Amino acid sequence: MKLKPCNAFFFASLLSLHLVAQPPVTKAEVIPITEAIADDPEVQKVIEPLAAEIKATFGQPLVQAPQGVFRGRRGEENLLGYWVSDVMRHAAQPLVGVPVRFAITNAGGLRANLRPGQIKVGDIFELMPFENELVVVELTGAEVIQVVKEGLLRRGGEPCSGVKVKVEGTPQQATLTVTWEDGSAIDPSAVVKVATTDYLYAGGDSIPTLKKGRKPFTTGVTLRQMLLDQCTAIGKAGKELLPPAPGRYVVPASIQEAIRDKTFKL
Amino acid sequence: MERRTFLASLSAAAAVASRVPLKATEGPDSGRITLLHTNDTHSRIEPFGPGNGAISGKGGMARRATLVKQLRGQLGSILLLDAGDTFQGTPYFNRYKGRLDYQLMRMIGYDATTLGNHDFDNGVGMLVEAIESMEQLKHRNPPFAFLNCNFDCKGAPALAKRVRPYLVRDFPGVRVGITGVGVAFAGLVASKNHEGISWNDPYESLKPVVKRLREVEKVDLVVVLSHLGYDNKDGAPDDLRMPGQVAGIDAIIGGHSHTFLDAPVKVKQAQGETLVFQVGFGGVNLGRMDFALARGEVKAASGAAMPVVG
Repeated sequence: MKLKPCNAFFFASLLSLHLVAQPPVTKAEVIPITEAIADDPEVQKVIEPLAAEIKATFGQPLVQAPQGVFRGRRGEENLLGYWVSDVMRHAAQPLVGVPVRFAITNAGGLRANLRPGQIKVGDIFELMPFENELVVVELTGAEVIQVVKEGLLRRGGEPCSGVKVKVEGTPQQATLTVTWEDGSAIDPSAVVKVATTDYLYAGGDSIPTLKKGRKPFTTGVTLRQMLLDQCTAIGKAGKELLPPAPGRYVVPASIQEAIRDKTFKL
Repeated sequence: MERRTFLASLSAAAAVASRVPLKATEGPDSGRITLLHTNDTHSRIEPFGPGNGAISGKGGMARRATLVKQLRGQLGSILLLDAGDTFQGTPYFNRYKGRLDYQLMRMIGYDATTLGNHDFDNGVGMLVEAIESMEQLKHRNPPFAFLNCNFDCKGAPALAKRVRPYLVRDFPGVRVGITGVGVAFAGLVASKNHEGISWNDPYESLKPVVKRLREVEKVDLVVVLSHLGYDNKDGAPDDLRMPGQVAGIDAIIGGHSHTFLDAPVKVKQAQGETLVFQVGFGGVNLGRMDFALARGEVKAASGAAMPVVG
């Protein structure tokens, strides 16, 4: 925030008001100047017990995750990201009323692993502290492949749902194959619904092709709420939260290394 | 400038401003009014926690209440307004469904708000319930008004009777008319959540309302609460282009785009200038616009964003 111009403007404004108003001289009165604004006791009295209640809800158990769900260390797949993108894709479908073929989120937005054991409300807040919302857009098949490629080149593959990605060859000479999750080919001209976040859609984390998404539908549902709802549903059904199967990104170690070194091109 | 110095001088400015007001001493033809405003507060009941960059530790409704109370005591003629998207963003919304936000707004002394797209996130029924809970609160402050002139709410009677196209308020030497406009639902609000409500072009909806406020209600100052966005690159109606499309607006209190402005932007219009302002989101800042009028005409106008810090 630029403070200085603002302040100058403020005084200028007072001057102009003064000139127009030409008020009679009024009695001076001491008004305390404090930089900090205290809480209003009446309003704070209402908020305090509710804040305590909100904090208490953070300890509420949602579901058991005996293996935990992890982002994966170097060279490992981001199963937590796969789970989040699966939830996004499946939550988006009823909202738009048609199948959503692909979902993508950013690994950088997942701030904590789900450690083995009881998953509580607070764990989901730690995993997803941001207020990012689910957005559904339309892309062509060719654009879906391009989105995957951009995520791959920048971060070694952003977590996604609905596709399988395979890189073969050497860092010097590699081929990329992207298919739907059942192995069928992606028709480059087909128009499909894609679930992502408002952050990525706005150009966050450098997946520029996502910005081309057409007919954006902002759901108003935060990713966090979606994850909370999903955990609640699994827990209520008496089931456990298990990590999705690996195998969505198959990338040779030498190419993963080249991606990290920023020497890899496709 | 150091934050500390800036804040001290800002408070000083507020104190000096309180010596300027005209009030009764100025005569019946002159007056001044201060518009205080927020937008996109998004259920930020408490200040932002750590880890939120530049806005960490800022905001909070209890502090906002104190700041408003201080300014009210200093300035007298005040309208406290909001430009919509009160709902969605923290667990408070998930738990209290917007009822808490509206109730606290009444306690702080809001005069009016408008409806943003997120205020429909739980559907029209839940929105009406939140408004009802605010109206039924036992508090010395009267319920605040919901202003919008471009939603056709005929198909949602419970909301229709709570949303009015404009509000007129009288202050010493100033008669103020306030109206509101909302953003198109397409792509923002699921159709089941705005059932019975249709959207009309905001500029076309504003024209007859502003005309009525000027010619029939004889107001001196026209204020629009706009949840359209500051500067829409896609050609959708927005705050910066509104003055050129609708003549006779003095102030636009904006929202939707979460635009942080330090001071209002002056935009030329057919009958002078319009002040366009917006103060980010989450109650981080409180907006302030001062108008001095003489014989029903704006003689001076200015404003600034006031940080809500503890």
